[in-house]
Amino acid sequence: MYPIVSITVFLPLLGALLVLSMRKAPPQAVHAIGIITSGFTLLGALIMWFRGVNETGFAQLEQIDWMPSIGAAYRVGVDGISLPLVLLTALLFFVTFIYSSKVRKQSHAFVALMLLLETASIGAFTALDAILFYVFFEVSLVSMYFMIAEWGHEDRQRAALMFFIYTFLGSLPLLLAILGLYLGSDPHTFDMRVWISNPPLDGMAATLALVAMLITFAVKTPVFPFHTWLPAAHVQAPAAGSVILAGVMLKFGTYGLIRFALQMTPDAFREAGLVILGFGVVAALYGAFAALAQTDLKRLVAYTSINHMGYIIVGVAIAALASDPAIRAIALDGSVLQMISHGLVTGALFLLVGMLQDRAHTREMDQFGGLLKVVPVLGWSFVLAAFASLGLPGLAHFPAEFQIFLATLQVEPFAIIVIIGIVITAGLYLRAIAQIFLGEVGDKWTTTTMADLSYRELLALGPLLAFTIVLGVAPAWVLDVIHKTTSALQF
Amino acid sequence: MERDLALLIPEISILVTVVLALIAEMLRMPRTALIITVAGLFLATILTLSLLGVDTTIFGGTFRIDMLSVWAKLILLPASILSLLLARAELAGSDREGTVYVLICLVSLASILMAGVGDSMLLVLGILLSGLASFALVAYPRNDMATEAAMKFFVFASVATSVMIFGLSYWFGGTGSTLLSELARLDTSPVIAVIGLMAVIIGLGYKASLVPFHFWAPDAYEGAPLSIAAYLSVVPKIGAILAFAQVVRDIPMVTAWPLIIAVIAAITMTYGYLAALVQKNVVRLLAYSSVAQAGYFMLGVVAVGASTLALQSLIVFSAAYAAMNLGAFAITMQVGRSLDDFHGVGRTKPLLGVAMVVFLLSLTGIPPLAGFVGKFLLFGAAIDAGFLWLTVVAILNSVLSLAVYLRIMVPMYQQQSKNEINEVISAPLIRLVWIIALLFTVGIGLSAQLLLAQLS
Repeated sequence: MYPIVSITVFLPLLGALLVLSMRKAPPQAVHAIGIITSGFTLLGALIMWFRGVNETGFAQLEQIDWMPSIGAAYRVGVDGISLPLVLLTALLFFVTFIYSSKVRKQSHAFVALMLLLETASIGAFTALDAILFYVFFEVSLVSMYFMIAEWGHEDRQRAALMFFIYTFLGSLPLLLAILGLYLGSDPHTFDMRVWISNPPLDGMAATLALVAMLITFAVKTPVFPFHTWLPAAHVQAPAAGSVILAGVMLKFGTYGLIRFALQMTPDAFREAGLVILGFGVVAALYGAFAALAQTDLKRLVAYTSINHMGYIIVGVAIAALASDPAIRAIALDGSVLQMISHGLVTGALFLLVGMLQDRAHTREMDQFGGLLKVVPVLGWSFVLAAFASLGLPGLAHFPAEFQIFLATLQVEPFAIIVIIGIVITAGLYLRAIAQIFLGEVGDKWTTTTMADLSYRELLALGPLLAFTIVLGVAPAWVLDVIHKTTSALQF
Repeated sequence: MERDLALLIPEISILVTVVLALIAEMLRMPRTALIITVAGLFLATILTLSLLGVDTTIFGGTFRIDMLSVWAKLILLPASILSLLLARAELAGSDREGTVYVLICLVSLASILMAGVGDSMLLVLGILLSGLASFALVAYPRNDMATEAAMKFFVFASVATSVMIFGLSYWFGGTGSTLLSELARLDTSPVIAVIGLMAVIIGLGYKASLVPFHFWAPDAYEGAPLSIAAYLSVVPKIGAILAFAQVVRDIPMVTAWPLIIAVIAAITMTYGYLAALVQKNVVRLLAYSSVAQAGYFMLGVVAVGASTLALQSLIVFSAAYAAMNLGAFAITMQVGRSLDDFHGVGRTKPLLGVAMVVFLLSLTGIPPLAGFVGKFLLFGAAIDAGFLWLTVVAILNSVLSLAVYLRIMVPMYQQQSKNEINEVISAPLIRLVWIIALLFTVGIGLSAQLLLAQLS
């Protein structure tokens, strides 16, 4: 048996070192290395997928001693919550590499940073040691900072700085919580499996640790009122950065919410369940209303992310509050599936916004008009992704949100007001589609020619849209994996 | 007696090195002096390896050969060697170049004496010796700025040291002995214990540049040659902090010393970074950053006796701090003293840029670098000792520190116009130093176990 998890985690890092070692190579070769490396990483993730997960606990464990005297080790493995996220991460990076193979500015550094980011992302989802998780978590932060600061748009320096300081500040409470859990465990260990099967803290200590973790993950997710870094970072980030930021890095927040907050301090989480639920509802509604007010297409998509991530928080809170294991499993199934759907759909949307911006050099929606006639393939792709994002049945978000709402109705019926968010996002996406793609072709676009999607762009976009449909029509193949773990959770 | 001398062999070899180097300097052979000092300190490091695992005291308990003092030698001596190389790169060819090497060795000797201190008189000796040699080092360029800096340093140090000696006389009066291990007897006379504690905080606080005894540091670092500033910010500082750990071990709890030191630590971290935030000169910025880092060290000192992590964390962070701070100073030597000098450096010199980013991120405490492991252990020690609030303060300060270090990092990667390309001086010795520091900064982060296994 090859240590396939570790190979998948560190393959991109090897690629990054390779890229850095060949400074004279032309940009095309560098991008080819990026695409090939991430392709093999995707293959690794697929092999992990077919090896599957266990009924209980973690599967595909790999472990090496790292700092035995303080109980830290290199431990990786997956369960039904992390495995789909690993696959999503590998897929998103692969398509992002294809999409950004046109980047000519410092392409060596770009590809190396992206590959480093891929290692950090997959590492964070597979880490089963708290220190290891924290290391990957922070490395992803640093690489994203440089990504925005170097390849972003007009106001990139400020946005990158804000992103870095905000999320760094956000991640430090997690460090406190990790130290608390470490000192509470007997014998002292950083093994997350031990912390999950036997939560080390109780009473006040557990509540404090929970609050610290909630701050970290609320910033990362992000939840109102900790969201202000997100629109700034998204608008200024390059399209590749936006896809990864929204598709992968926001998931650290919700993944951490389940893995750390819910599983390691379950009793405290249950007590705080209503508060967390409240934050989720507010985030979902706030994200929807804020998106409604945007004129910049990229900001609009960024705010709908806050809305979609809000549903996940609601789902997790409902899972904690539910007393019936069946309902709990439904709520968690929905939440985890929502992470996957959001990664696919928002990834596609940010790619499309990037493609539009490449052509039109603007993101202001009122500058467009009638583009469906000019660039039909791009237009219809956007319509498909937008419909998926607003939760149309048959597309990726529907089965996820449906399960979350189903569980919500049975546990805390009042929280179902969150469904208003769906109505609003439907409205705003229809408005966006009408402004950009329908109506008379804007004067600007009749005189200048606008090319439709190239092969490179189709290749990047295709897999995401295909999975969006597959997941909407037949979500069972992912849900089965998720359900295997969520139905066995004891807390 | 023979046993005591045998255990003191590293210190003795440094002393012999000093004498030999002084002779070489008198013969006007600075290069030979450099070779002698580097070789001598290297030999002392090797000799120290045989002392690993020893835990005893010599000369009637006045000097301790324990984990702290042995590791202090293993960290401070290599750091001194790197500083010697930096000094050579900066001061080669100047008058009396060799005296610099001799004085550096003397300060190193004093610092490792402090780190193993078991007697209040030895503490005074260590502080005086390192102080006297440091003044001369700062004043070395003999220009107005250096002279002024050395003068400030001298006055400040004299007052602080005198106050310390005065306070230590209370301890002597109370216990009838200068041995630190006798301090437990002050259990019933807290006033005397507290007066002595205050005195030690002032004396060692000045040496470790804790707020509010730090005022000399930015001026001295700015006036001194950069290599000397780098050296002073690492070796005597770590010596003083480890001396703190040696002293507080024996102070009776009635003085509530952990709380007093915790408050000083919190003020030091916060003030240091706030002051660093407004500096325009990189040397002053790094000076205030090293003030703040001293505050982080205090998290480990606070936990001495209460947490098993305390000594480990102090040693790991000492090693990390020595590597990353020397590295940052070395790169500053190569690039320039003003923040503007860093403009676009990351683009023209990629490796140097990456190295500086690594040092600064490590100073911030971002994983997987050495600074992270050190701070992580310090935080763990402080929480274990019941100082959660102090850890929270430290963590908030980490954010502040990020803002401070980004002030150097961000301009490094900005576009620069063609006409203002800053010439980075090329100096193979400096380059060698920061490459070694880089290897240690990354290496300690990734393989902290190698260190930790020795420490438990």
